[in-house]
Amino acid sequence: MDAHAIGVLTNIGLFAFLALSAYLLLVAGELSFGQQAFFGIGAYAGGIATALYGWPLPLALLAAMAAGGLAQLLIALPTLRLKGLYFAMATLAAAEMVRIGLELLHFRRMVEGEAVGPDGTQGFRGIRWVFEQGIEPGGYLLIVWSLLAVVMAALAWVERSRLGVTLRGVGEDPELAAALGIRVDRLKLGTATAAGALAALGGVLFAHANTYIEPRNFDIMLGVHSLAYALIGGLGTVVGPLLGVLLDIGVLEGSRIFHGYRMIVFGGLVALLLIWRPRGLLDERVVHWLGRRLKKPG
Amino acid sequence: MRVLAFLLLGCLALPALAQRPEAALECRPTPTDFIFDCTIHLSRGGKPLSGVEVTVGADMPSMPMAHNVKPAQARPGDRPGDYRVMLDLEMLGDWTVKLRLAGPVRDLLRVDLNFDEKGTRPVRRRR
Repeated sequence: MDAHAIGVLTNIGLFAFLALSAYLLLVAGELSFGQQAFFGIGAYAGGIATALYGWPLPLALLAAMAAGGLAQLLIALPTLRLKGLYFAMATLAAAEMVRIGLELLHFRRMVEGEAVGPDGTQGFRGIRWVFEQGIEPGGYLLIVWSLLAVVMAALAWVERSRLGVTLRGVGEDPELAAALGIRVDRLKLGTATAAGALAALGGVLFAHANTYIEPRNFDIMLGVHSLAYALIGGLGTVVGPLLGVLLDIGVLEGSRIFHGYRMIVFGGLVALLLIWRPRGLLDERVVHWLGRRLKKPG
Repeated sequence: MRVLAFLLLGCLALPALAQRPEAALECRPTPTDFIFDCTIHLSRGGKPLSGVEVTVGADMPSMPMAHNVKPAQARPGDRPGDYRVMLDLEMLGDWTVKLRLAGPVRDLLRVDLNFDEKGTRPVRRRR
C-alpha cells in the first residue's frame, strides 16, 4: 500500500471515532456540535502523558479517555437539561470555551534538552512516542483500525442488548421512556460520558499520528463534519458513521474528482440527504430490511 | 590516555550528534492553480544536511484529516542541504507541511506556512 493510501485510511479511521461519538449522542436524541472539544482534550491529555511523562501509549489512551469522558460528563450535567437546538448551541459554546482554554494552556517541561508541551497558540510539538517506538505509518494504521474494530464491535453488541434498545427508546421519545420507569437523565449522562471518552480516544490517536497538535485543530469545522458523517451514514447502525466518513474522505477526497470544490459538493450532499433521508443512508428502516433479508433462508 | 581523550571528544560531540534536523521551506506558485514549486533546506547544527530521503505531505490545521495531500518524494536541489518538490494543494491558506526524513537521518519535521497567490510566508499566530 502506498503512503497516500495509508494516510487516507488512517484519517478515515481517526475521523470515525469522532463520528461515532456524535452518533452515540444522536441515538440518545441529542445533537452535539461540540464533540471536537473532547477529541482535543484527548489529544492534549494523551500527548502530555507520553511526551512529558514518558507513559506508554496504551496507558495514555486510558488516561485520555478518562479525561474526555469526565469533561463531557461535567459539561453534560448542566447542559442536558436543555432540549434540541438549545443543547446543540450549548455544546458549541462549551467546545469553543475548551478551544480557547487550550489557547491559554502553557505547560512545558524540558525533555532531553528540549522544551516540550502545550504552548498556547503555538501548539504542542514533540508528541513522538509512536515515531520513537519505530512504528511505521502502516503499523499505526493497523493500530487505529484494530481499536476502531474493537469499539464498533462493542457498540454493535450494546445496540443489540436491552441497554441499546432502551437508549433508542429514550432518543425517540424521552417522555414515554420516563413514563415507563427509565431513568432518562442517568442514561443520557452515561451516554454522554461514553461519547466523550470515544472522542478522546480518537484525539490521542490523532495526536500521535501527527506528532503535533494546536488548538485550531479542534474548531467548529471538525465538530460539524463529525456530526454530518453520522447523519449521512445513518443512525440505524454503528456502521453508519463509518460509511459517512468513507463517503466524504474516501470517495470525494480520495478520488479528488472535485478538487477544491469538494466542500461545496459535501455541503450540498448533506443538505440533500437531510431532505431525502433525515436519518441517513443506513437508517433504522434500511437496517431492519437488511437484517430480515440476511436472516431469510436460501 | 588516548582512550580517555577519545571518550572526552565523543562526549563533546554528543550534543551536536543529538541535535535534531531543522527545515526551512520556500514555495513559489506555478501556472497551475494550487501547485507550488517548493525548495526545502535541511540542516543540523547549522550545517546542511544532504543525502536524506525526504517525503513531503501537507495538512490544513483548521480542518485536520480532511485534506489528504498526496505525499511527494523530494529530489536533491542545487545547493547542499537543498531539496525540491512540487506540492499539489487543494486550496490556498494556512498549511502544515510535513517532512518525513528517512535514510541516514530518520525524523519527522513540520513547517507551518501560509500559501497565497504570491507564494509562501510564515503563519501569523496570536500570542
